[in-house]
Amino acid sequence: MNHSVRILLKSPKFMLGAVLLLLMIGVVMIYPLINRNDPLEMIALAYQPPDSKLLLGSDNFGRDLFLELIYGIRTSLQVGLIAGVFATAIGLVIGLASGYIGGMIDNLLTAVTNIFIVIPSFVILILISVSIDSRSSFVTAAIIGITSWPWTARAVRAQTSSLRNRDHVNIAKISGYSTPRIIMYEILPYIASYVVMAFVLQMASGILAEASISMLGLGPYNTISLGIIMNWALVFEAPVAGAWWAFIPAALSIAVITFSLYMMNTGMDEIFNPKIRS
Amino acid sequence: MKVHMIVRPMLMLLLVVSFMVAGCQGVTPPPTGESPPNQEVTAPGGGEETSPQEDPRATPRNETLYVNGLQWGAPTNFNLLSGNPAFPINYGNSRELIYETLFMVNQLTGELEPLLGTKYEWTDDLTLRVELHPEAKWSDGQPFTSDDVVYTYKLGQRYDINWSNFWTYIEEVSADGEHAVDIMLNKDNPNKLTVLDSIELIPMLPKHVWEEIEQQAGGDLATIRKEINDDPIGTGPYKMYYYNDQKITIVRDDNYWGQVLFGKLPAPKYITHVIYKDNAAGDLAFKSGQVDVSQQFIPQVWKMWEDGAPVKTYLKEEPYYVPGSMPSIFFNMSKEGLDNPDVRRAIAMSIDYGKISELAISGYSAPMQPSLTLNTDAESKYVDQAAIKPLQWTTDVEAANALLDSIGAARGKDGIRVLNGVRLGPYEIECPYGWSDWNAALEIVAQNAKAIGVEIRTKFPEAPVWTNNLQTGKFDIIMNTPAGGVSPSQPWNRAQTIMYSKGVAPIGEMAFWNWGRYQNDRADAIIEKIPTVTDEAELKALYTELTQIWLNDIPSIPLMYRPWVFDTVNETVWKGFPQEGDGSNIPPQISMDGAGIKALYQIHN
Repeated sequence: MNHSVRILLKSPKFMLGAVLLLLMIGVVMIYPLINRNDPLEMIALAYQPPDSKLLLGSDNFGRDLFLELIYGIRTSLQVGLIAGVFATAIGLVIGLASGYIGGMIDNLLTAVTNIFIVIPSFVILILISVSIDSRSSFVTAAIIGITSWPWTARAVRAQTSSLRNRDHVNIAKISGYSTPRIIMYEILPYIASYVVMAFVLQMASGILAEASISMLGLGPYNTISLGIIMNWALVFEAPVAGAWWAFIPAALSIAVITFSLYMMNTGMDEIFNPKIRS
Repeated sequence: MKVHMIVRPMLMLLLVVSFMVAGCQGVTPPPTGESPPNQEVTAPGGGEETSPQEDPRATPRNETLYVNGLQWGAPTNFNLLSGNPAFPINYGNSRELIYETLFMVNQLTGELEPLLGTKYEWTDDLTLRVELHPEAKWSDGQPFTSDDVVYTYKLGQRYDINWSNFWTYIEEVSADGEHAVDIMLNKDNPNKLTVLDSIELIPMLPKHVWEEIEQQAGGDLATIRKEINDDPIGTGPYKMYYYNDQKITIVRDDNYWGQVLFGKLPAPKYITHVIYKDNAAGDLAFKSGQVDVSQQFIPQVWKMWEDGAPVKTYLKEEPYYVPGSMPSIFFNMSKEGLDNPDVRRAIAMSIDYGKISELAISGYSAPMQPSLTLNTDAESKYVDQAAIKPLQWTTDVEAANALLDSIGAARGKDGIRVLNGVRLGPYEIECPYGWSDWNAALEIVAQNAKAIGVEIRTKFPEAPVWTNNLQTGKFDIIMNTPAGGVSPSQPWNRAQTIMYSKGVAPIGEMAFWNWGRYQNDRADAIIEKIPTVTDEAELKALYTELTQIWLNDIPSIPLMYRPWVFDTVNETVWKGFPQEGDGSNIPPQISMDGAGIKALYQIHN
């Protein structure tokens, strides 16, 4: 494990992604401690251009967009994290179960996974978001997670079913270890690197899914996320008013976050994937 | 597999980007309550763009009045009974162009002006007698008679159509000779005000045409609704000329009977409604002079004339438009905390109405003077302003805090007050998503409430969910417009919608007015009495008392005054549109609805 981490730290791609992400997390954690204003407070006129006081101008409600952006990034990261945890956890459990146990359960779980794969998850996401009455950012994140696990499940299942016939697993079986213990100690370590990579990707796609759904007006209520900032900008015709500051910074932030996560993923891939590893 | 996992997020990124691009093109729901569907229509050809070679039906620019904002999406039919007829047939919208009503409502005075009807009077407590213009005739030359009026009214009795609801209050409509009609009220429900609405709202249909259509359909409404009626026969000054997916053009009927009434024909030979893709496209065309009369929400309209465009609104100064409705928030009277009138008053005092007007509707709302009546001449005369003055609230956060302190609602650790063990919030406040002026208003209310230690959270569901919550009472605070529009039944209709408790189903079942389930016996009694009273002094006393009850109990808080229609004109081609103070008494009703149509006789090139 330590060895892997040391190799990772030498990967320029991974480091670039990680530094960008940490920098961003640092800023969004620290800035609200310095500027203690309420990001929802309407302090200026609508669509004021950026100046020395309002670093990114104001939105349609006259709110400080820089402050909103900071809180927005925070919410988006949280949503991505929660969605990633949900998606990875569900995918992992289903993938491990169907890959290791096999037989009927495998057929059944694979069928369910395939069904989820063929239905576009974004459509499900929209339908669920429309139908639920109260949407917090946690609920939205959970829905995103619940609709985006199938590819992880599939990959984990494939790797598990190839692992289960290896010698060390057979020895563990003969030694009378219980199934959970075998999965835990004999299989999981071999796919751990893949799981971490899947998690990073799920997190990135979770952030994008939140932005997409918020732009449709189906995002969480009573919070600020990057998607919600852009949604208000669209509803109040910021592009027509020439208020680029109302949506470009938010769009850029999404791009930077997902870029950094993808860079981390690619960096890890180069190290953990034996086919690519040089 | 990995490829897939990357491709999917990439697609989402693409989706986000495409939204942004779409946003740049301005595909956004216009910020009006009646949001037009964003139907994909090919780029509209404005008047000048279509050369005669391309379009044999092109009309000369200086003879054509261009309009927008009354029709969104391609026209499907011109049949009033279909439920969704296109311009200019749409019900209660551009009333006097092809079909006419008996009387024309004037938004400025609230009065009914003669058109097909010459005068109306109550011959007894239950009978409204309407005399008809003896020279009125249909565009096919047939005379317009009392038979047509009776026939049109009774269509609403036979079928479920726009004016069927009037039959709740009407017992019978009968002809008295060729040129008079008696409308008998329902003895159990004699509502004079609502019946007066009917004579300015119901468009008169020719019996000789529609009887035939009815017969062919075998009296089946579903079949009648399929009739396209692409050449409607009406009594009005215009006839159908040409329509396609991008525009609808009507042409003046030079044999129009109303010349005897107005003394001449309307000035524009043609009226063309151009169908734009969205608000932004319509605004742009209007600014450049391709459209003369716009019924669209135009943000910061004054910028248009500051930029040099010859654009006018009815009022020269803020709020530019004449108010016609009061979008309000309604409290669920059974919610703990909100059931206390002092809490409701504190919330009312915390709201920054100026900010709502400025941020939500570009300042088109005059300063808020809370009352059941609009702040117009037509309505404010019903209430003794001095008597309600002490009860009216203004934005005053300090006083609101003091009021909450005085009733023992102390702030908890999180800054939110607790009253008798009940935390004041979180309350949800809701309206449909995409009604941007309302969304903005509620964001401001939620923000303002924080300052007095009441927690309010906004919630913007899809419109059907909001409708359901509204009617079934599943809300804490909800926004809606109580009885919008200008008609003889105002302000009674609005008061009834806000306060009348009889016939309102309990929470969980559907209610169509008084959504917060407010209950006050005296208010009910007054609301029942007003439609039977004709004495002005007595009316004023009743309205004043009712308004005082409302100001004390605060079942609703009006957030803004909203124009009935956004009537903005560009005088590049047509000049002389009515404006406040010109002495014409022509209301800003888009030059074609109710008494607003008189503008068509006044404008010139």
